Amino acid sequence: MRSRDGNRTFSLRLCSVILFNSLALNASEFLISYSYIVKDATLHNETLHISKAMKKCTGTPQKSFMFDTNGEKDLKNIISKNNEDFINYIHGLGLHINHNDKTKNLQYSSYTKMTLKTTCFKVDFNDNFARIAPLK
Amino acid sequence: MKYSLILVALLGFTACTAAEPAPTAKQVTPAPSNVTVVCPTGSCEKAPEVQKVEVVKPIVPEVQKVEVIAPIELAEKPKKDEDVLDNENDLIIGVVGQGVAPMNTSSPAQAYALAKRAAVADAYRLIAEKVKGVRIDGQDLIKNMMVKRSTVRTSVKAMVRNANIVETTFKEGLCEVEMEIVLSHSDFAQ
Repeated sequence: MRSRDGNRTFSLRLCSVILFNSLALNASEFLISYSYIVKDATLHNETLHISKAMKKCTGTPQKSFMFDTNGEKDLKNIISKNNEDFINYIHGLGLHINHNDKTKNLQYSSYTKMTLKTTCFKVDFNDNFARIAPLK
Repeated sequence: MKYSLILVALLGFTACTAAEPAPTAKQVTPAPSNVTVVCPTGSCEKAPEVQKVEVVKPIVPEVQKVEVIAPIELAEKPKKDEDVLDNENDLIIGVVGQGVAPMNTSSPAQAYALAKRAAVADAYRLIAEKVKGVRIDGQDLIKNMMVKRSTVRTSVKAMVRNANIVETTFKEGLCEVEMEIVLSHSDFAQ
C-alpha cells in the first residue's frame, strides 16, 4: 500500500545517496612515495612521486594532515606549496632507513637512504583545505 | 765287600767336605801405583766430591678446601639509575644529527634546507643505531707482516616513526638537528 506521504522517504533516500556520492567523489586516493639519499653528510638525491591510484585502495585512514588549499584541487600543486610541512608529516609516518658506512685505511665514507615505500593516501578536498591520510 | 767299604768311605769323605764352609774370597787391595794426574786448569787440588742424590718424595698436592659461595652472576643487574623500558616508564632517546650543505648551492636558504635534510637523516640513523643496533664487518689484509688494507663496514636497517625534532642549529655550513624519540613498552608488545 502506498503511504500518504507519497515518495518522501524515497526522495530522502535519493538525496542522501547524492550527498554521499558527491562527498565520496571529492575524496581521492593517491599513491605517494618519497626517498632521499645522503652521502658523506650531504644530500644527493630527493624524490617525491605522486600519482592517482588506478585501483581502489583498502584500509582505514590513519594519522591525517591538513593543507590550506585556497581552492586548489591539484594535489601536486598543494604539496609543492606546503612542501616543508608535508615532508615533516611524512617523516612522522615513518621512514625506512638503510645506512652503510665504510672505513677503508682510516678514510670514512657513508651512505644513507631514507625511504617512504609507496603508500596509498586518501585525500579529501574541500573549499579551503584538504585532508590527507594514509590508508593501512 | 771291599768295594762297599771303599764306597762308604768315599761317601763319608764327600759329606765331610760338603759340610765345611766355602772359602770366602779375600779382597785384594790394589798396590799403590805412581800415576800423575795432569790438570789443565790447575785447580784439581781437591778430589771432586761425589754428589749425593737425594730421593725427592713426590709432593702430594693438598686438597684445597673450596668454600661454596653464591653463584656468580655473569650479567650484571641493571642499576636502578639506568633507564629501562618497562610497563610503567617510557624511554626517551635523544641524538644530534649533523649535515652539511653541498658546495654548489644557489642561496643560503637552499644550503640550509639541504643541510637540514642531511642532518635529519643522520639523526634518524643514530636513533636506529641506538634502538635496533649496528651490524659491523671488519676485514684486514696483512702481507709480509704488514697491514695492506683495513676495512670496517657498518650497516643499519630500520624503520623509525614518531621521532621529533627538538632543536635545529645552522652554523658555518654545518647543520645540527637535535632529535628525540619516546619509546613506550606498548610499541614493542606483541
